[in-house]
Amino acid sequence: MTLAAALKTRDVTQLPGKRDEDWRWTDLRGLVRALPEPSEPFAGEPPRGPFADLAGLPIHVVNASDPVVIRAKSAEPYVVALHFAALGGGSHAATARIEVAENARLILLESYEGDAEAYVADHALSITLAPGASLERVVLAADGELGINVSTAQVTLSAGARYAQTVLTDGGRRQRIETRVTHPGAGADLRLDGAYLLADKRHADQTTEVLHQGVGGTTAQLTKGVVRDQSRGVFQGRIVVEEGADQTDARMRHQALILSDQAEVDARPELLIFADDVSCAHGNTIGALDDEALFYMRQRGIPEPQARALLMAAFVGEVIERIEHAPAREIARAWVAQRLEV
Amino acid sequence: MAAVKETVQHVEALEKYQHGFVTDIDQEFAPKGLSADIVRFISAKKGEPQWMLDWRLEAYERWLAMDAPEWAKVKFPPIDYQDSYYYAAPKEKSGPKSLDEVDPELLAVYAKLGIPLKEQAVLAGVEGAPRYAVDAVFDSVSVVTTFKKELGQAGVIFCSMSEAIREHPELVRKYLGSVVPVSDNYYACLNAAVFSDGSFVYVPPGVRCPMELSTYFRINAENSGQFERTLIIADAGAYVSYLEGCTAPMRDENQLHAAVVELVVHDDAEIKYSTVQNWYPGDPETGKGGIYNFVTKRADCRGDRSKVSWTQVETGSAITWKYPSCVLRGKDSVGEFYSIAITNGRQQADTGTKMIHLGEGSRSRVISKGISAGRSSNTYRGLVSAHPKAKGARNFTQCDSLLIGKTCAAHTVPYVEARNGSCVFEHEATTTKLSEDQLFYVMQRGLSQEEAVQLLVNGFVKDVLQELPMEFAVEAQKLVAISLEGSVG
Repeated sequence: MTLAAALKTRDVTQLPGKRDEDWRWTDLRGLVRALPEPSEPFAGEPPRGPFADLAGLPIHVVNASDPVVIRAKSAEPYVVALHFAALGGGSHAATARIEVAENARLILLESYEGDAEAYVADHALSITLAPGASLERVVLAADGELGINVSTAQVTLSAGARYAQTVLTDGGRRQRIETRVTHPGAGADLRLDGAYLLADKRHADQTTEVLHQGVGGTTAQLTKGVVRDQSRGVFQGRIVVEEGADQTDARMRHQALILSDQAEVDARPELLIFADDVSCAHGNTIGALDDEALFYMRQRGIPEPQARALLMAAFVGEVIERIEHAPAREIARAWVAQRLEV
Repeated sequence: MAAVKETVQHVEALEKYQHGFVTDIDQEFAPKGLSADIVRFISAKKGEPQWMLDWRLEAYERWLAMDAPEWAKVKFPPIDYQDSYYYAAPKEKSGPKSLDEVDPELLAVYAKLGIPLKEQAVLAGVEGAPRYAVDAVFDSVSVVTTFKKELGQAGVIFCSMSEAIREHPELVRKYLGSVVPVSDNYYACLNAAVFSDGSFVYVPPGVRCPMELSTYFRINAENSGQFERTLIIADAGAYVSYLEGCTAPMRDENQLHAAVVELVVHDDAEIKYSTVQNWYPGDPETGKGGIYNFVTKRADCRGDRSKVSWTQVETGSAITWKYPSCVLRGKDSVGEFYSIAITNGRQQADTGTKMIHLGEGSRSRVISKGISAGRSSNTYRGLVSAHPKAKGARNFTQCDSLLIGKTCAAHTVPYVEARNGSCVFEHEATTTKLSEDQLFYVMQRGLSQEEAVQLLVNGFVKDVLQELPMEFAVEAQKLVAISLEGSVG
């Protein structure tokens, strides 16, 4: 049951829905009654995307195209901007393969864009890191109000590899950004961060699954969310420590602010542990803005809207600060600030 | 690691399950298997009115149309529902039934289990010692309920379910199935069709129940399932504390225990429900035998400022699959869940709670401590949800897991659904192994490894143990130690 399978077979019954445990809060089956026609091929100047100026190699994919293949071989950090756009409605499925060779370094700045038309888009990324390789992935997802987007990255790490990810999104009609990582332990290091900033009736789902398969792996995960109006944020994190994957250190944190009585946050932080010499923890908090902090700031003469914006910026800022690539971090910061303006 | 090996061998020599004896009691059974006729048989056996039989038959019809759920993290071969007895009862002697006329064999069973069925036996204890009334359920029927007279003076009704259907049909009809509807889930539906007995408690408005109430469940007969149904109602301003305990003989085949517990709490009332579950867990080496404990427990906090507190110590059963829940409907209602789940050998437990916040200002607290050892698997699965109307709902959840050994598993699967802007939900969970440093420190002080582990585990579960009624806390603490025997190494 995947969107990709449904698009391939043109069969709506293949869509995942409420009855699939991993999709209970992101129901596609109930939403999509009929799959739209395949998207028209796009002619004209492709949109540049937010990261185009930072990259040695900007890649644009509009309404899907041939599979994208990126291979990084140099130990010097290499910056690629990969921009997916859905224009003019319809349905399409894009794929990309990213390989980082031994000891090579890659910075992948990925972005999504959709126009005001209704579309159904599927993105499948396969990311492989060879031993000692390093990849930082920053995702900015700006789907259209009527856009349905599912992006799934399958990440395979090797010994001593380092993978860091930050996914920032403002949602869509239904949007899911999913990351599945196989983690060999063996000194490999993983960071999975994200933030969702939702308003109106938007929906965003950040789902991750990490399989720790070997001794001595670390995972750090931090996801923050701000939901307003009638929006809905979903966080599903699953960390699996397989038998024998001792000395795993895994930490997961999810925190969300609900700023309206019609907004909703659903969370499922899961730990599945089959080894005993591990240290795993998760924390999950959901609540409103701290009234006392707000009061304190207003007392100091800061008007309420600014005080709120400041508190939210500080709240989400923790995720932004962890982006290592400085120019991308600044773009991310501005992107977030724009979406927190009241 | 020679010392460790020694401990393991030493522990293996110990008797691991102390309640595994079978008692030869003159019993009568319903014919094996399940059908509408069996449902009628059970109902007739209990001399039930027509409405009760209709209720059962309707449940049976619905059950036939349902599929067994498979989502829990437990593995077991499909259950053959036709290969089991749905009714087994000690043969009744004629004449009025007072305690003196209860089969002495039966009394001996309870004496052996340390359950005081003779009222004077309790009274003879230390002066001022807390007393508690007991309803003893043996296979399918309640054999005796103590202290009924004294409770009656306070207006408290404490009796077996069959008696309640006869004596207080208006209360039973009003409340039975109102918290756990007939077709709530597969096992609850089965229970509604074939339940044989259980306890019934009604505490009238403003009454604080003068003593602890408790029910003791014992499965004795071979190839039989136990399906009891408990209903507790605390009317406005009432308070009652209730404890259930369970044991079963050691057998090679699995036996099903599918109970339903319904709690109804009105304005300002409080129910404290504690469970010490010690069903036979099966053979630790082969995983053969043991009880399947598939239980539906739910409390409906209907009244404003009502409160329910679930405390459970789960050490037995081959498979435990249950989620004592609170529907927090009333304004400012409170739900609490304190749990210790210990799995060893090849036990599997998938347990947790549901806190459903519907009322304004409702609060809940969940403390769960899971300990897995041997080749066992222990899952915490919980739901905390706030309805848009549940303004200012608060929840705090803490679930900690402790792993002892390389082959066990511990899982945490919490679901959180927040649907308004004023709720505050906090959840934290940790999974660790027993700290080497702490073990070393304690052993340095002269404790054996086994004792050291027990001491540390007792410290780990302390937050929950202190929620148990005092006299059971001691028992539970011992149980924790026994359950962990053989886990070091």
